[in-house]
Amino acid sequence: MTSIVVRAERTSLGQSSDLLTSLEPALSLQTREIARRIQALQNQPSLGSPSADTPHPSTEKPLHENLFDALAAVKVLTSQVAMHLNSDWRAKLFHQLDSLHDPAEWEEGDLPVQQASFATFLKAMLTINPARHPGLGLSHAGNLVAAWTTGKDRLTIEFMLHDRVRWVLSLHYEDGLVRYAGDAPVTRLAEGLAKHDPEHWFSRAPENREHP
Amino acid sequence: MSEQPYRRPPITEAIIEIRYAAPIEPVHLERGDVDFRPNYPFQQPTVNYGVAVGVSASTGNEPVTQVNRSDGRRLSSMDQTELILLWPQSFIVAQLAPYPGWDNFFGRFARDWKTWKRGVGYRKVARVGVRFINRIDIPQVNRVIEEADYLNAYAKLPDEFGPVIAYGVQAQFLPDDKGCRLTLNSASVPSPLLDHGSVLLDLDVGVETNPPQNDEDIYTLLNEMRAKKNAAFEACVTHRARELFQR
Repeated sequence: MTSIVVRAERTSLGQSSDLLTSLEPALSLQTREIARRIQALQNQPSLGSPSADTPHPSTEKPLHENLFDALAAVKVLTSQVAMHLNSDWRAKLFHQLDSLHDPAEWEEGDLPVQQASFATFLKAMLTINPARHPGLGLSHAGNLVAAWTTGKDRLTIEFMLHDRVRWVLSLHYEDGLVRYAGDAPVTRLAEGLAKHDPEHWFSRAPENREHP
Repeated sequence: MSEQPYRRPPITEAIIEIRYAAPIEPVHLERGDVDFRPNYPFQQPTVNYGVAVGVSASTGNEPVTQVNRSDGRRLSSMDQTELILLWPQSFIVAQLAPYPGWDNFFGRFARDWKTWKRGVGYRKVARVGVRFINRIDIPQVNRVIEEADYLNAYAKLPDEFGPVIAYGVQAQFLPDDKGCRLTLNSASVPSPLLDHGSVLLDLDVGVETNPPQNDEDIYTLLNEMRAKKNAAFEACVTHRARELFQR
């Protein structure tokens, strides 16, 4: 049986065509014809597919177009995992994103949501799978920020580029406020939160819960 | 009504393409913005470049470069999952996940095709095609996925090579004697989920030889091609994969 090793460092099959191009001068006409036929077998990249590029805000475009491009990119990204998402939450998420990018409320100089930050957010949400969904915000740099509030306690997670997360927990005890913070790859988020009773934040009935 | 067999179909993209024998005039593409605006409020110009370089085998001749530019329109719904692509050579209706089922998707195609034809009139059809791109997200066990537990189409390789880090398989078939061509692509792809590996199963069914020219025959053919695509998909996945689509 053939197994696939899943590597953190991603490789692209597309590299093979670059290799073929660089080797072409060394290939016979017959070999080039074989290579051409093999390439012809490949389905073309779908034209409806999302671009892998993060749309960069352009100073030449009006604000509403830059905001639209950023929103469209993350909605298309969401479609890539939509089969794993609850449809109600997906609709709510899009509504929150639309509100965050309302041109009428937009602060000049802020960056719209970054595709890489949003990809980190989706990975985190699909892993921790919270029953209670967070309120969303944006950092100045366009990183998505999610917040859960239980009573006076608060968990805030910033989803960074390159699959990293930063989180801050604020817990109110009788003897005062305690804060915990973490900075880790998104793969370690669940592990990092585990010692602070994640259900305190993610459960549907937080008001009945004691402090972690 | 056709049945949606899976609670969570792994379809990331479904596409119906009608390709023309001769290009459509640009004025019709621009008109599409207006005609489709009620259902596709977001509209963007899109450009496709094709570059061909001809190099003579004999020395001393300059390479000949040919650049083909094709201007099209990409129209999308509010949530970006329903798309139309208007190219000079083709009319494409696409659906990103979540896939709403064939009845819904095909109904949208029929609605939009009718709208499109009202503007451009009859044009000779050169190809009718249906393409479904599936991504199967497989849970890792000790950082390894066993794709053979989930797929029947994969690269069979000698055990001496050890675990594979990436693969791609391509094949073409003639699933009937009516001119249908099935192109299958399967490959490992980066997974959008943590602790998973993903494999792509891309199935394209098309007819290029004497494709139908009237709407009823096109609709009949699309439904037949969808059935062939479904049969191919079911043949390519295992029971364990089907369990993933029901969770």
